[in-house]
Order: sequence, then structure tokens, then C-alpha cells
Amino acid sequence: MLKKKFSSIQMKIDGQSVSVPEGTTILEAAADAGISIPTLCYHPKLNSVGVCRFCVVDVGERVLAASCTRTCQEGMDLQTGSKRIKKYRKCLTEMLLADHPVPCQKEKTTGDCELEELGREYGILSGEGDQTKFLDENQSLLLNQKLAEPEKTDLSSPVIVVDHHACILCDRCIRACDDLQCNDIIGRSGKGYSSSIGFDLNQPMGESQCVTCGECVSACPTGALTQKTITLPVISRDDLEQVDSVCPYCGVGCSLTYHKIENKIVFAEGRESPVNHGRLCVKGRYGWDYTFHSQRLTKPLIRKESFYPKGPLSPEVLKSQSGKNKKSGRNKKPGGIVDYDQVMPAFREAEWDEVLDLIADRFLKIKKEFGSNSLAGFGSAKCSNEEAYLFQKLIRAGFGTNNVDHCTRLCHASSVAALMETIGSGAVTNVFADVTESDLILITGSNSSSNHPVAATFFKEAARKNAKLIVVDVREHEMAAQADHFACIKPGSDVAFYNGVMHVLIRDGLVDQKFIDERTEGFEELKKLVLKDYSPAQVEETCGVSAEIIETIARTIGKSNNMLIFWGMGISQHVTGTDNARCLISLCLMTGSVGRPGTGLHPLRGQNNVQGASDAGLIPIVYPDYQPVGKTEIREKFEQAWECELDHDAGLTVVEIMAGALDSSIRGMYILGENPFISDPNINKVRMALSNLDFLVTQDIFLTETAEFADVILPATTYFEKTGTYTNTDRRVQMGRKVVDPPGEAKEDWKVICEIGNRIGISMNYNSSSEVFDEFTSLTKNYHGLSHENLGATGKLWPCDNPEEGDGTRILFDQQFPTETGLGKFVPCPYLPPDESTDEEFEFVLSTGRLLEHWHTGTMTRRSYALNEIASTAYAYFHPDDLKRRDLKDEQFVEISSRRGTIEIQVKADQSIRRGVVFIPFHFRESPANVLTNDALDPFGKIPEFKVCAVKVKPLEKHAHK
Amino acid sequence: MRLLRKLIQIQHDKGFIDDESLLEISSSEKVPLYHLEGLVSFYTYFRRVPPARVSVQICRDIACKMASQKAVAEKIQKEFGSRNDIEISFTSCTGRCDSALSVLVNDQPVAIRNEKDWQDFQSVVEEPDSLKINLPTDPLHWKCNPYQNQDDWYSTLKNLLEQKSLTEFAQHCIKNVEESGLRGMGGAGFPTGKKWQMVADENAEFKTVICNADESEPGTFKDRVILKDLSHLIIEGMIIAGLSVGAENGIVFLRHAYAPEQRILEQAIKQARKKGLLGQNILGTGKNYEIEIFVSPGGYILGEETALMEALEDRRGEPRNKPPYPVQEGYLGKPTLINNVETFALSASIIHHGLEWWQQQGIGDYSGLKFIPVSGDVNSPGVYEVPWGTTFREIIQKAGGMKDNKPLQAFLPGGASSNFLSDADLDLPLDFDAVRNAGSMLGTGAIITFNEDRNLLEMGQNITEFFRNESCGKCVPCRIGCEKGVNLVNQISNQQNLKDVLPVLEEISETMQQTSICGLGQVALNPVMSVLKNFPGKIL
Repeated sequence: MLKKKFSSIQMKIDGQSVSVPEGTTILEAAADAGISIPTLCYHPKLNSVGVCRFCVVDVGERVLAASCTRTCQEGMDLQTGSKRIKKYRKCLTEMLLADHPVPCQKEKTTGDCELEELGREYGILSGEGDQTKFLDENQSLLLNQKLAEPEKTDLSSPVIVVDHHACILCDRCIRACDDLQCNDIIGRSGKGYSSSIGFDLNQPMGESQCVTCGECVSACPTGALTQKTITLPVISRDDLEQVDSVCPYCGVGCSLTYHKIENKIVFAEGRESPVNHGRLCVKGRYGWDYTFHSQRLTKPLIRKESFYPKGPLSPEVLKSQSGKNKKSGRNKKPGGIVDYDQVMPAFREAEWDEVLDLIADRFLKIKKEFGSNSLAGFGSAKCSNEEAYLFQKLIRAGFGTNNVDHCTRLCHASSVAALMETIGSGAVTNVFADVTESDLILITGSNSSSNHPVAATFFKEAARKNAKLIVVDVREHEMAAQADHFACIKPGSDVAFYNGVMHVLIRDGLVDQKFIDERTEGFEELKKLVLKDYSPAQVEETCGVSAEIIETIARTIGKSNNMLIFWGMGISQHVTGTDNARCLISLCLMTGSVGRPGTGLHPLRGQNNVQGASDAGLIPIVYPDYQPVGKTEIREKFEQAWECELDHDAGLTVVEIMAGALDSSIRGMYILGENPFISDPNINKVRMALSNLDFLVTQDIFLTETAEFADVILPATTYFEKTGTYTNTDRRVQMGRKVVDPPGEAKEDWKVICEIGNRIGISMNYNSSSEVFDEFTSLTKNYHGLSHENLGATGKLWPCDNPEEGDGTRILFDQQFPTETGLGKFVPCPYLPPDESTDEEFEFVLSTGRLLEHWHTGTMTRRSYALNEIASTAYAYFHPDDLKRRDLKDEQFVEISSRRGTIEIQVKADQSIRRGVVFIPFHFRESPANVLTNDALDPFGKIPEFKVCAVKVKPLEKHAHK
Repeated sequence: MRLLRKLIQIQHDKGFIDDESLLEISSSEKVPLYHLEGLVSFYTYFRRVPPARVSVQICRDIACKMASQKAVAEKIQKEFGSRNDIEISFTSCTGRCDSALSVLVNDQPVAIRNEKDWQDFQSVVEEPDSLKINLPTDPLHWKCNPYQNQDDWYSTLKNLLEQKSLTEFAQHCIKNVEESGLRGMGGAGFPTGKKWQMVADENAEFKTVICNADESEPGTFKDRVILKDLSHLIIEGMIIAGLSVGAENGIVFLRHAYAPEQRILEQAIKQARKKGLLGQNILGTGKNYEIEIFVSPGGYILGEETALMEALEDRRGEPRNKPPYPVQEGYLGKPTLINNVETFALSASIIHHGLEWWQQQGIGDYSGLKFIPVSGDVNSPGVYEVPWGTTFREIIQKAGGMKDNKPLQAFLPGGASSNFLSDADLDLPLDFDAVRNAGSMLGTGAIITFNEDRNLLEMGQNITEFFRNESCGKCVPCRIGCEKGVNLVNQISNQQNLKDVLPVLEEISETMQQTSICGLGQVALNPVMSVLKNFPGKIL
């Protein structure tokens, strides 16, 4: 936080009169006056520590003062670069260089070691990059044995080289790790000349708890922390081309710059933006190389006649249960990505024209024979707004059905249902970065540090600086560890818990009555319900949280002024997902926590464009911008715009479409960039459903598990191979720019959609994705006025009144809600138990989710070198006590079964898991958690209950492979 | 304090600090592992591997170096070096330069000065638990002590408070200390009364009084003797200071090596509490005052006042960038009065005896008394209470004169961080300005004497090594300059390469003086530079 600056100070710097606000450091004042002072430990984003002493200036005292820490005083008359000061700076440089490998790894790679640069400036070194040398032998008196000491290079991280010789102990990495990322891994170890940076208890980096965000590398001024080679060797920035874009992974939407050469990305770096302020996580910084993976699809594929009737091809997809998988003869490492030798023989390469004609022909035939509603499409939240828009247009205008949905169904459908119902809008009411204005942050059902890692750094920072943090979750994950109050609730008990909290707030008069009176409706019914049946004492058993903790949390909420609520899949993926979200909204409304700085409702969006894909209409009940398909005037508007007739009825959702495939009411499907075989609940059912389709087209960058059931597979482009817009969790619409050319005949997704559209009788002719965007925005209110041109370097928040100059709207609903009455609505929700409960046999509750390093079905992340190196194995995480009780050893293989299926997996002890619960990430095809999950649906959001099902565990004899 | 005390307890109980304990503390205290690593690898008391049954640590610093350290170390190595149950290592100055050679056996001080000492040492090594240190205290030995017996202790404070309101009391005490001209006895010599006034002037609810009892500079051991003989005076000084500046919180930051003295201090604190001088509403003033002892986990740098506060706040003891100064933002970022042991004791004495008495104690125009530790080549090393204005020649005479009547070649007038002076400077009076004008500094007033046989370059080199060993490493000039300085001095072997080395050393020394964060780095190369410059004929 910047110090408050009030009165102004008059002083002289190098004879120049300056006037600066109180609290300004000399370094800042000098910079303002155009005077540059050399620095090493200083970094504008970090608190100054004044340890390198390069920035010393003469303020007329006995000794010099570090200008980065010394604040300006009235009447100062200081010198920043006298001969004497320069002599000392040169001496400091000489001493540091005497112990420094010349050239160091940074100078050899990106060519920008700050110490060696100073060495050149002071005439100690000559040459640049690889050619850097000492100018003369004067250094010989200083040169040190240290460099001859045994190798002090730590190579334990897959992507970062730590060279302690090159470290000057400027503490920039320490502060980047602690203060920016709030990861708290790096510190100083030892004392005096033998001090070094150390990770945790001075372990090798790769063995510490480091999450490989790489912030330390980007902060390091020398070759102490540098990037390893991922694709091509890292070379000088000057010799690389820079492309500004946005990260392809989560909904946070971090700005970054890709450095490339010869159609290869070499490394990625965070870029300044209101979203991430230059910070990145491991996926964003190191997880982009999947785009160069050898398994990329480069030609359209058609299933060979001999591979009908259709069915799974790889052993993992064939039968996910038990340890009876047949491994191929070669020394195949168990698990991992699909073996193309097993699946490719089922397909033959074809030309684009042939497959596109085939696709049009088959879809039209099905439409003719079984009707429009026998077709369906899954779009993708990983594709751009333009592609989402075109995809739903193709399905609606071309196929003639509203059976179009995407994975938002599996993540925030219930949240959106509740938000639309109560406050009239499904998007976040405030941006996550506004936590700097909050005095209370509530994070519930969200493992933010794994799933929204960069947003989590801002939450952690706010929790350290300006806000209390309450975490409510079934796991005591990292956010919980940072919390002031943590409630470890039983899975599926959210409604009971929040009703209990609201009970206390109402009982003790801690609500915002003025807000309730003026801005809401339905409070009395809610009050009646929660006061009657939901006292903390009444709910503690159901929630597994003591009444005392509920009281404490409620009072903390009641006392706060500005609460921002964040939630994730832990709230939404339940049969009561909509109820869970309604409770959070009620909590927000009764405390008046909306429409002001530091307040709001923020369902953290999962995929990079799940907000945008929904905005663009990849939802069966609404056209773009949430315009209901059931409203005649709306339908007519789109019929006019698209020059066709549209279906009058709402379409089916993801799980309903799968059920339709199973009962043959759905016959043909177009799946773009989704992998339901791994991502949907109850995979055994999905397998039958996919096998049962008459015609399936998948369009993807790799041959996915779902593609094994396809008739036609289309080679798509990755994020890096096309230009488009993506809308992040904050509603910020940002440009993703093309970085590299696609391999072989892989085609931009939006072009493929258009080709199909044109072949089935609708006109889809656009010269660029920018034109598509213009058509989309012209049909919306919220995107109105936005264009590729005016999105600029860091995008705009929708709605945006003044796209040419403004940044868009951060905080929504400061006056009223976009509901019919303009009021926010309380919806009382009685507690209902999860669909499935444990019993003597199925004794554990399974909760699924994600790991920091992986992304959804692993298609991308498991083909990224770094991410796969760090997390290559599927584990089922149990509380150590449960493992002990069941006599299971860490890493032991077990069979885990639900009432729907069985998987084989290794167990891992994890203190953060609640006793009686098992957590399994769903990324791993060799142990697909979704074999076990329940496809029971929330009645409003139609979201399946991924977060609760009952499972049992059986030990296997098999030994752990390590 | 909480975290470091936990770690100290583990070190004490287990003899080392294991990973399991650190993991446990990390999770129970919600402290990152790196933070704990930073602490356990910084403070000298902590070790990460299990110790042998007996640990023998030989002092490697100047007074002990002069006491045949090399030969004794070889002897110890020869005698015990092959034993698995005994580990032998070196340690920085233990603060017992008056009984050099000082050795620590399982952290307990043992002196090896003669054959009998050697015999005793051998048996202590075999049975370390047999060592019982019983310090005789002798409060009446000191002129500044106003009390004839224990019953009178603290009567200065009591009497004044009976006569004066708290406001009058504070004004009276600050005025007396100020007018006495008393300056800080920890080395920097800042006017004490002025410091008290500055803290008193700060408007804050929470203020702290810290007694810096971490003297660790080679040759400096006066505070140890004051702690032993005049604990009650230190406590009285701290309470007077607390009431004067408006602090209710007192901390004695005590060096780890003073465990025997700690017990005496604890006893005195207990007694003060019994007499109603500590605790709630002390002496009916309506003020609370507590004094607690924090035992330093080790390191010379902690004597630097802001490093000391960093340690109290459970961080690595690295000096802060100043300003802000402790009087404004000290312990926990709040106004803090930090004075040295001797300063507190003398303050109490001044307030008891009055200004006139204090002025009479000095010689000529000088007023007051000073505790001077004398070590090196004198017959009776020890602490002497001498009037200000006494000449160094007289002080050395008080310490029994030069040993074996070997003429003095050089002396350090203010501890290991002061510049070497020659026999020509012996008639300088004990006075800050006089010593500074002669090109050195009075510092703590610790005098180390060198006879004509001593190799001064070796002495200077030893001091440079001390600073290298004790540099915290926070800032570049000190961390690297100390090491480079040691290496450069080591390279001096003849006049020719002296000519090569000297300019480089000079440049580094000047850079360190001007750019280091704290006094350690600023002075680290000065003593050796003074040898090279002032004794050119005697180097090689």
C-alpha cells in the first residue's frame, strides 16, 4: 500500500529544486526529476529493503544513505552521483562480480544480467551475452575461491535453474515469493558471507513446497534463478519476437507476453494489467508447450469401416475399472497420455473437403430423418467468444435446435440459475481485485490457490494487509490455512451452514436493515425459515461444525462493512447447488454487501472463457447475452438477424444430451473442444451413450478419449494459433493473439464452423474473427460498443459505456438490480441432503476437483513438460487417520468403487482432507474419477453432483511404481 | 520472542533442532518453514545436527589468541581429537578476556591459563556436569554503588517517588542524567539524557525500555562484571528510565554466554518484584512495569540496537535501515529507549548521588566514573572503575602494568573496533574527543594492550576475521567486503605485495565505511587499516 501523501516537501537533488509529497523516497523523487540512480535490490513492485547499497546518495550525513529506503526531508540538498559515490558503486560492483560467474546464466540466455550491465557501465566488464569478460586483471586480488567451490547449481526443479554462485542476495526473489505471490517458500539461510537463498528448510527447490509460479525468476536480476529450456534454448530478448496475449488456462485471465522465435514459443512472462499485475502461476508461465506436442492432430480423420460398430479404442477408455488394463507390449509407463498406436489404426486421414461434405451430409440426413432436436452440440469454454457465438449460431440456425450447451453446465450452472433468479444477472458483481477495498473476504467451496492461483495471491495479500479471511470448505487447503476463521463443513451441508450463519445475523440484529428495506424483497419468509429451524445448535450436527464456530463466523460477517464473497465448484456442483448459491446471495443481500467497493458476489469462473462462452449463448435456454429463447420478440430478433427460423423451445443440457444419446433421442453430435468422456459424471454411462450415437464429430487439438467414439475427427488449432476474444471471471473481455502458425492442416475453429455452416445451408462468411465479434456485439447490450480494436492491451470490463477511453464497469448494481422489480430477491432454502449417502459398505464421501498443475481432462496439461513432470500421478487423497484406520500405506494401490463403477488408484495421505472424505482429481484418464461420480442433477441448474458420492476402498497387492 | 524462545527450548532440551520440531512449529504457529530456517541458520546457539556428549569450543578472538590459543588448541586437539564423544570447534569471543584462554565446555565457561587450569579442564571435559560455577558477587567493590547492603537497594527510586509526583520525578531524572553529561556506554556515546528526553517526548501508548546486555566485542567484558556485582543498579536504572519516559515494558537482552550472570540478574529481578518495584501499580505510582530477560541465541551483531529488536521480534538479527531510529520506531515499531548495562547502572548512581558528586568523581574538568575492561599483555586483566580523564598509562598501571615488564607497543583504546594507538598515545586522557582526535575511538572503553613482541598485522587480521565471522550478511559491502578484506590481508607477505594490496583494501574499507547499513560494516576494516597505516615499519 502506498503511504498516504499529504504535505509537500521542498528539496534539492543534484542542485535541482524539487517538490515532492511527504513520504516519497529519494529514489522516487530523483526518478521524477529525471535523475537515474543505479539499483539492484530495488524493484518497483516490492517493498524496499536497502541491502545492495547501490542507490546510496550523499545527504550530508556521516555516511551515505540508501535512497530506496530514505524518505525525503524538507531542505535536503543531496548528491546522487558524485565522483566519490561512483567510486563506491564501482567498488560494490567489483566485489560482487568477483564472486559472480561471468557471464552468468541470465547473461547467457536472456542477456540481461543487471549486475553484468553495471559491470560494463563501470568499465569492469566488456562484451555482452556469451562474450562478457573482465576487462583487466585488476580483479585478481579480489577473485575468489568461492567460484571454484563444488557446483552450487540446483537443477531439481523441472523448469528453473538455481545457481547460488550468481546470487547477490538482493532478496528480490524472497519478496516476490512472499509479498507478491504470498507463497512463503524462499528465505535467507545462513549468516554472513556464507548466506544463501534457501527454499523451505534449505531444501533443493524441486523438493520444497514451491509451487513453481516462477515469480522469483522474473524478479531475479542475475543468473541465480533462470529458466530452463522448454522448447528452444532461451536467447536474448532482443533476438526474440514478443506477442502480448492472455493466458489460455483459468478464468482469471492473466495478461502475459510470449517470447517466440521460428514458430516456437521460448518462454512466457507476466504482463502488467489490472487483472494480474504481471503475476502468473505455473500453468500460465510454463504450461504452453502442449501446443508443440508431437501428438497434435494435423489432418482430418475418418473412422475406418472395420472399426464399426463404434466403441472405445484404448484400454483406459475401454474399461476404466480394476487393474485389468492390458498395457501395450512396449515398456509403456502406466498411466499418462493416450498411446496413439492403440487408437490411430481405427482412423484414416482424409482431405478437408471430404470430411466437411461428409459431416454436412450426415447431419442433414439425421435432421431429415429424426428431426432437428435429434442433433446436439457441445461448444467449448476454451474457445473464443467468436467461436462460441458461431457454434451456437450453427446449432440453432443450421441444426435448427437449441440443444447446445458447454461445460459451464458442469461448473457454475447452478450459480448462474440462482443469480439470474435473485439479482437478474449471472455474472460477477465486482472484480476479484477489489479485495483491496474489502475488510472481509469469504471464500467458500473454492480451492483458489490451486484453481485460480493468481487471484488467490491477491486474496492472500488482502488477508495479510486489509481484510479478515473466512474460509468454508470440506478441505483445509492452502486458503484455509491462511484464514482467520475456517469452518470444515461436511460435504453437501452448505445450506444448513449458511442458514445457521444467517440465523445468528438476524437473531443478533447484525443485518443491514436499510439495504433490506430499500433494495430487496422476500426477507420475511427467509427470516421465518432460518429463525425457526437453523440455530447453530440445530445445524452443528448436520454441518459437522461446532455452534461456536458458526457464531464466530456470523459475528465476524456481521461486524464487517465490506464483504466480498467468492465461491467455486464446492458450492455449485451439488444437487442443491442452486440452493447453496441462493444462500450466499441471501447472506450478501442481508448484509448489504453488494454494489459498493470491496463488496460483491463473485463465483470464480473456471475456464478462460466460460464467462464469454455463456455470454455468447452456448446455453440451451438463452441466445447471446442471456436473451431467453422462449420470448417471442427475442426469437424473432435473432430469426431476423440470422435469416432463418429458430426452435421455439429450450434445448437440452449437457447431462440431458448424454442421456438422450443413450436412449437414442439424440442421434448426431458435434463436440468442439470438450472431452465429456473424462469430464462428465458416471463415465460408464457416457461410454454407452457415446457408442450409441449415429454420428459424432469431434474437433480438438489431440485425439481425446471422447474422440475414440467419433466418426470424424477434425484437427483444431490451439489457443496460440488464432486470434479472438476471451472474457475472464471479472467480465473483462480481452484479446488472445495468435502467436504461432498451426501445424499441418489444423484449422482455426471458427473457420471450421463456418465451413460446416455453409455446407448445411446457412451463410457464414466472415473475413476475420473481428467481423464475427462485431456481429455478436451488435446483438447484445452488454458487449455493445466493444471491438477488437478498442479492447486494447488489457481489455475492457462489460458493460462498458465508453470503450474508447474507459475500462468498463467494475462494480454492478450500486442503485438497483436488473430484475423486474429492481429489487434483489431472498429465496429461502430448506436444507436437503445430498443425493447419495454413505453406508457401512460405501463409507467414504468422494469429492472431486482439480490440482494446481492440471487442467480439466488433462488434454493440454499432461502434454506440457513442466506440469506433467511436477504432477504425473493420480492419487486419491485421504486423511492420514483414515489411511491408518484402514491399514493403508502412502502410495499404495487401491480399488475405489462407487455404486456406479470402480477405478484403480494410489492413495496419498493429506492432512487437509476431512476424515471420512476422499478427494480425487478428475484429470487422469488411467484413474478417471468420473467413473465413480453421481449424475444426479440439481433441478434448476441441471448440474451434476460431482462433490458428493459414496465410495468404498479395497487395497490391492500391486506395488507403487516410482 | 515467542518463536525464538520455542527454538531455544528445543535446542536446550534436545541439544539440536530437528526437522520434525520445525515442521511442528511451522504448522502450530503458522510460520513458513523458510522463516524458521532463516532463524536456526542465523543464530549461533542453534545447531541442526545432534551434538556429541561433550562440546569444546575454543575462543578464537584477540585476547585468547594472545593467550597461546594456537598451542592450547593443538593440545586439546591432540588430547581429545580422536574421541567420538567429544567435538572440538572454535567460537567467537566469549566475553571472558580477563581469564584468557577461554573455552566453553557444553556452553559453560572454563579458563585455561596455566597447568592447574589445564588439569581442571581435562576433568571437566570428562564430566561436564561436574562443573559448578559459583560467582562471588562483590557490590561494595564499586564506588558508584550507593548501597551498603541489600536492604537499601532501590531506595533512591523509592525516596524520590515519596518526595515527587511522577511528572516531577521524570523531569528531575531526565534533567540529572542530561546535566551529568553521561553518554551511552555501549560504544556509540550518544548523550543519554537527550535520548531519554526524545523517548519521553514521543506520544505513544506503548513504549519499551531495553537494556542492551549483549556486549560481545573482543576485549569488552565490563557489562558482565556489572551484571554480576551491580544487577540491582541496572534494574533500578531501568525502572527510573521507564517511569521517566513513560514505558511500562522492560526487556534485558542478555548475551547467551552470560548464563552464570543471568542467574544473579534473575535473583535481583525477583527481589525487585518482591519489593513492589515491578508488577502492577509500582510504588503506588499507578504505573505498571515489568522487566523480562530475553537470552540472545547468539551473535555479535545483535548488540546493534535495531538488529537486537529484529531478534526480539523473532526475525533474523539484521540491522534495520535508519532512520527511523528506535526512539521513534523501535521494538514492535513503537518508541523504544535502549541503553547499555553500564549506562543504566550509572544513571541510577547519578540520580542517587546527585550531580555534584558525579562531577567530583572525574579528574580535573572531567566528571564521572567509567568501567574499563583491560586485557591483553597486562599483569592483572580485569574491569577497573576509573575517573574520566585518567590517562591510559594510569589505567594500564591499575591493571598491574605490562606483563613481564615488556614495553607496550600498541593498544586499542575502545575495543576491537577501535584503531590501534601507539605508546606515544598513552598519556591521552579517558575522553571521547581526545581519543577521536588521536585517530581512534573510545567506543566501549575496552583497552587491549600489546607488548613489543606482538605481531600487529596478525592482531589486525584476527580482528578483521572476527568481523567477517560476525557479519550478518544483510548488506553487500559488509558481507563481501569483510571476506575480501580478510583474504587481502592474508595475501600480505612482503613490502611489494603490500603496495599492491593496500590501495584495494583502502578502497574497500572506504566503501564499507560509507555504504554499510550498520556500524559493524562501517568499522570492520578500520583496525587493520590503522595497523597498515600507522605501524608501517612493524608489519613485515
